[in-house]
Amino acid sequence: MMMPSQIPVTMESLVVGKSQRMRAVFEFLRVIGNSESTVLITGESGTGKEVTATLIHQNSRRRHHPFVAVSCALFTETLIESELFGHERGAFTGAIKDRPGRFEMAEGGTIFLDDIDDVPLAMQVKLLRVLQNRTVERVGGTRTIPINVRVIAGTKRDLKQMVSDGRFREDLYYRLNVLPVALPPLRERPEDIPVLMDHFLRRFFRRKNEDVPPVSDAVMQAFTRYNWPGNVRELENACERIAQTCGCGAVRIGCVAASILFGAAQQPPRTVSIHMSDIMSDIKKPEPPLQFPTAQELETPVAPPAPAPTFAPPSAGVMPAPISLDDRVREFEASLIRWALRVTHGNKSRAAALLQIKRSTLGDRIVRCGLTEPDEQQHDPAERAAV
Amino acid sequence: MAIEKERIQAVLDRVRPFLQADGGDIELLAVEGRSASVRLTGVCAGCPAAHMTLHDGIEAAIRTEIPEFDTLQVA
Repeated sequence: MMMPSQIPVTMESLVVGKSQRMRAVFEFLRVIGNSESTVLITGESGTGKEVTATLIHQNSRRRHHPFVAVSCALFTETLIESELFGHERGAFTGAIKDRPGRFEMAEGGTIFLDDIDDVPLAMQVKLLRVLQNRTVERVGGTRTIPINVRVIAGTKRDLKQMVSDGRFREDLYYRLNVLPVALPPLRERPEDIPVLMDHFLRRFFRRKNEDVPPVSDAVMQAFTRYNWPGNVRELENACERIAQTCGCGAVRIGCVAASILFGAAQQPPRTVSIHMSDIMSDIKKPEPPLQFPTAQELETPVAPPAPAPTFAPPSAGVMPAPISLDDRVREFEASLIRWALRVTHGNKSRAAALLQIKRSTLGDRIVRCGLTEPDEQQHDPAERAAV
Repeated sequence: MAIEKERIQAVLDRVRPFLQADGGDIELLAVEGRSASVRLTGVCAGCPAAHMTLHDGIEAAIRTEIPEFDTLQVA
């Protein structure tokens, strides 16, 4: 059970995401801030559902009233009813005194029902009644207690699919899904990784009363290439680990969990260069005009290609210098081929498979891009050791 | 049966570019039977945290690919 959250949130402190998708989310949160309607937050584990719920509460008229967060996954079928609606003394063995439920505790404020998909079907009917009538009845009680609570539900599953499968009541789904907020997984917004990294490193180093040491490009590469199955929570933990273990005055690859390195090594290199120093100054500024990566930047597998790059409208009267699309495409192609050859240790058949092209096509492209054999990956290890 | 050096080398090669980008490397010293010893070189070589994280992580990664692998020693 989670109690009223202590997370201090303002829109600004929390806008740690500059991707279009997160901006759209924040924009939507702003719009629905003063609404009283039910919100359904969907997102994978670790995408920030509770933080988002807190944010909605803090930006609503209910902010001076309680915010009560409950994970519905934590309770057994019999316990959940008493947790949410409370019970009267003697309602069941062990009910030695009257106890208000979470809904009553959230009176005037907001209740966040996380893992709503874990609510058993029988309980879903009761929840639906509560949402419709805005009243609760304690277990073993006869009194109907009116409640004034805004409901936010959270789920990591596809509720609509659960409805089709008969595992979630359709009527409850529609009752909950008034204002849907979909939180994108971190791998779909890699441009936010450096921003989040900076945010968390600052937080954890501040706790140690230290300044954030410089972060090496190799670490940035690893973090931006890794696909973060645990989303922001995993990134947060990785940053905490760095803050706790780094004692050499610079965040280097040795501070990063090897699982992240191995995970990152399986991902293709990113093509847009992002440096920590650029980030903070960037956040509050309007979107900079799109910068085309140079061949050299493409070469370095640094940071992500923004999946949907943001094209700022050209400022009036200023025409950017022309670029050759063909050349750019070829450079990009060459960098991907080099990457594929590198990770397959020069095995062209496997590299071709990785790039989903024919082996013969790869041969042609290698010639066309003027690429020779891949990096000397297969040399004697003894030669490499002396770094 | 002893594990071939190349198989371990291949696992190390996956993370090597990251280490090298930070001025370090990992050197495979020896493979004996089902165990291997490696040495961290370069910038992170003196960092106890790096030893810890790389040791555990690399050992786990080798075991994933070579289930019969026994232990990894970091010199």
